[in-house]
Amino acid sequence: MSDAQNPEPELGEAIAEMGAETLYWCMQCGLCTGGCPWRLTDGDINKEFNARKLQHQGQLGLEGYESDNNLFACTTCGLCVARCPRDVNAIDNIRSIRMMLAEGGTVPQSYRPIVGSLTDNGNPWMETRDKRTAWIKDLDVPTYTEDTEYLLYVCCTSCYDARSQKIARAVATLLNKAGVSWGIIGEEESCCGESIRKIGQEELFTTLAEGNIELFKSKGVKKIITTSPHCLYTFANEYPELGGEFEVQHYTQLLAALIRDGKLKMDKDLDLTVAFHDPCYLGRHCDIYQDPREVLAALPGTRVMEMTRNRESSICCGGGGGRVWMETPPGERFGDLRVNDALAHDASVLVTTCPYCTIMMEASVLGLDKDEEIAVKDVAELLVDALA
Amino acid sequence: MEHKLGVYICTGCGIGDAIDIEAVAKIATDDVKAALCKNHECLCSEEGHAFVQADIDGEGLDVVALAACSMREKQAELTWGDTWVERINYREQLAWCHEPNDEDTQWLAEDYIRMLGARLGVTSKPVPHIEEMSDRVLVVGGGITGMNAALFAAKAGKEVVIVEKEDALGGFLKRVHKRFPVLPPYEELEDNDIASTVEAVADHDKITVYLSSTIGKIDGAPGNFDVTVDGAGASEKVGSIVMAAGFTPYDASKLTHLGYGEVKDVVTSVELEDMASEGKLVRPSDEGDLDTVVFIQCAGSRDADHLPYCSTTCCSVSLKQTQYIADANDEAKTYVLYKDMRTPGQWETFYQQVQKQGTIFVKSEIKSVVAGDDGGAVVTIEDVLLGEDVEIECDLVVLAVGQVPACKSEQLLKLGYRQGPELPSMDAKLEVKSDDDEEAEVVDRKDEVTGGFPNSHFICFPYETRRTGIYAAGPVRQPMDIASAVDDAAGAAFKAIKSVALMSEGKSVHPRVGDMSWPDFALQRCTQCKRCTEECPFGALDEDEKGTPKPNPTRCRRCGICMGACPERIVGFADYSVQSINSMIKGIYVAEEWEEKPAVLCLVCENDAYPALDMAGTARMKYSPFVRFVTMRCLGGLNLQWIADAMAKGFDGVLLLGCKAGDDYQCHFIQGSELAQTRLSKVQETLDRLMLESERVAFHEIEIDNFGAVPGIIDDFMEKLEALGPNPFKD
Repeated sequence: MSDAQNPEPELGEAIAEMGAETLYWCMQCGLCTGGCPWRLTDGDINKEFNARKLQHQGQLGLEGYESDNNLFACTTCGLCVARCPRDVNAIDNIRSIRMMLAEGGTVPQSYRPIVGSLTDNGNPWMETRDKRTAWIKDLDVPTYTEDTEYLLYVCCTSCYDARSQKIARAVATLLNKAGVSWGIIGEEESCCGESIRKIGQEELFTTLAEGNIELFKSKGVKKIITTSPHCLYTFANEYPELGGEFEVQHYTQLLAALIRDGKLKMDKDLDLTVAFHDPCYLGRHCDIYQDPREVLAALPGTRVMEMTRNRESSICCGGGGGRVWMETPPGERFGDLRVNDALAHDASVLVTTCPYCTIMMEASVLGLDKDEEIAVKDVAELLVDALA
Repeated sequence: MEHKLGVYICTGCGIGDAIDIEAVAKIATDDVKAALCKNHECLCSEEGHAFVQADIDGEGLDVVALAACSMREKQAELTWGDTWVERINYREQLAWCHEPNDEDTQWLAEDYIRMLGARLGVTSKPVPHIEEMSDRVLVVGGGITGMNAALFAAKAGKEVVIVEKEDALGGFLKRVHKRFPVLPPYEELEDNDIASTVEAVADHDKITVYLSSTIGKIDGAPGNFDVTVDGAGASEKVGSIVMAAGFTPYDASKLTHLGYGEVKDVVTSVELEDMASEGKLVRPSDEGDLDTVVFIQCAGSRDADHLPYCSTTCCSVSLKQTQYIADANDEAKTYVLYKDMRTPGQWETFYQQVQKQGTIFVKSEIKSVVAGDDGGAVVTIEDVLLGEDVEIECDLVVLAVGQVPACKSEQLLKLGYRQGPELPSMDAKLEVKSDDDEEAEVVDRKDEVTGGFPNSHFICFPYETRRTGIYAAGPVRQPMDIASAVDDAAGAAFKAIKSVALMSEGKSVHPRVGDMSWPDFALQRCTQCKRCTEECPFGALDEDEKGTPKPNPTRCRRCGICMGACPERIVGFADYSVQSINSMIKGIYVAEEWEEKPAVLCLVCENDAYPALDMAGTARMKYSPFVRFVTMRCLGGLNLQWIADAMAKGFDGVLLLGCKAGDDYQCHFIQGSELAQTRLSKVQETLDRLMLESERVAFHEIEIDNFGAVPGIIDDFMEKLEALGPNPFKD
């Protein structure tokens, strides 16, 4: 009897009040756990992380799940949410448990500098605000004014990370080419806050979001184009509750429309076989599957392969839910699964359209020592390659 | 017997293309001496019907034999008033499963005509047994099921008598505080409205209610039951009976391992209903508040030491009762400790609703329930899905107890039947006497599936019991909730009414609905061995003091198991007897050895194996054309003499296709398939006497849905016979 734990239902109720609205809906069938991408990896996280069990512990108010490999393993990819027969939102439930720990002051080691950087500089990359536009280099990038149609909101990753900056540059090039009325705000922007919210930093998220909302409103922003599906998701789904109602699109949605209208045309034959990876936040979270495919279909001489797991059942790159800032040991990386899948389809380019996915999958290409066989590119980069 | 026979061969559906019709017709007229043999391209059409009718009117035919589709097909189209109709299956079991225009197929077609002729030679058209009958319905039990059965029967115009042992109608529902949700979105509990049903019954002028009364005795047989009502001191004549005695909750005093009787704050789900009705939702020990309540599911259910089965309702009862607790104290925390939540139908929606309100569900193994230091209880469980032990302190433990059929613990019907006073359940022991054993062999039918419920065929035929004219409804039949009990009431009332309607015309009830034959006993040759009276699955036969059987035709279901039981072969029907099957066997042409054509007799159960053969034919599956099917009402009627005769005549083998026996049985006559196998266990002596190999006789159980296996069974048997070589008794 000494080993038995005593449930603390008040703790469960507190978690539910923090946003785990569907915590008690769970009937413990385990479809979430069975379908979780961690099951496809072999390592400690696979052994420790079990979304079903975690939620059951939450219901009973029991502890013992706080490790990086358990509570913080979830990448919020949403595969479990899509599969759940009871409409349980495991992401909200896990986020709420993380939030409860954060309120008690528990933040995983890996996240402490990120939280600090976001608090001080408004970005998670430990860089100063004035470098937010460093990606522009010699490009012609307009500044957003009241006369501009679209605000291009560039993900912090593509603002600061050298590899990812190429994506921002590619998107800007395409918008210019198609004659779109667009501009950026730049230094005054803060991180959208999507991922920091997922690790339980609710207050920080609110501060970032409210700052952005005030900024956008003060500039007269009505329409936003995002380079990242994560920014898209939070602008469209989380900002409205805080008073930020904007017309938001991912850039592939706008490009698909421009191509359809004949305003953007790629002429150069690339003669490539590419495999498309659906980012979780574009696909399952925002239900956008067709637009990036339509854009790729407009590339002359490019064969677009569907990977074994695609669209609604696409596998995560491993970078969501804050995991982009946490080390995942080689051999346990979801990116490896995607790279191998793309290689199995004879693709020489693994193309996606999310800065996190690009980082994670590129790391896997290097980790698997496959950089001679396959490259990882953003849709925008491929399009620029095909401009005559 | 002399008949004026007309044989009609339907040439539709491929039959005409498969065989030489003229050659068959020649056999019919020359060998079988049919008055006429004609063919028609579509007998089931209006023209086809008129074609036969013209001959019945013009030629005075008294038997019409149709060599056409299966006897299971076109039954409505292929009847001509009360003219005796025989069917030969030329479609599913001939044209559709054998090579067209092949000499072996042709030979089969001709054999079937010869077999018909041989059978007609020893059979006659059944003369129905008709007697004066009552169409009144007795309902045993005045709960929700009984009252609804009475109302349904009364609405259909029948007089009804309800016998209720308590002093008021309402049954178990009198104790129930609230009902499950019954309307979308299935989230709100309903008030208990049993009073309105009680009122409707009390107000109905066709329903007589005896309260504080029990059955003293039921004598007679369906159509004429004489009922003595103790308590009221009344006598009633009724035609049929609805058994609706309900259930008793499982005896919680046997659940000491769950704290019952040892810990004050452990109650049953039934006791919680009382507490809720009385508005006393407090701790029994000290009347303290109920802040935490633990429900333990499957308390004594799905447990080999208690009730082996699931009562289907306890999960929903506990879900409902969490609402009582929440209504009394919205801060209260409720836990449901389950093995598996089972919430069929709309209860699933209710289950989700209760989950959403914050009740915690834990798949658990209960380790202990002990008293708390400060009253209440401490429940220690293994949280199966957590893999850890969890200890819950609570104010009250509610044990969700299952349903036990009322007939398990008391005598309710007191029938004056030789086989006993109550409805047999599938866990009854079955005594089988073999041909030569002095002692009865007791086959233990300890059946954990049925748990004492008086079913006769739980897969296909609800309400049927093993006593004709008596139909079980509600939780006495199987554990169920209110809505199902009301459905049951309608079903059983309908069957009760229908049974008398059929019997009053001399017709059999289920499953040989409409059969007018009944078993005739040549009692002057009876040796009083009592096998028939013991083996009849329906208790149809009583005995006089010497042990001579006393048939009750209205209790009989016409299966012919008595025919198989009788060592003296004194039992038979006008159109189905030991001789009729013997004559068919003799009618089959067995090729001489030099012809190298095997001959195989196959005795086929009409309920499962026959339709399986039809389905195999419909699927155009092919098998050996050397097998001659002889249909039996039930293989329980098997007589070993047939096998001996067949072997002596030179048949190479005998195959028996019965239905599935056992706990998940399909046998329409309860034990037929098992009895057949018991009877067959003696066949070795016959084979030894003839110095034949035991492999020449084989028995297979065919599940109706496993028709795909039938051709394989037949062909495998043929291969075995080929390996054995021809029967040396061939000419």
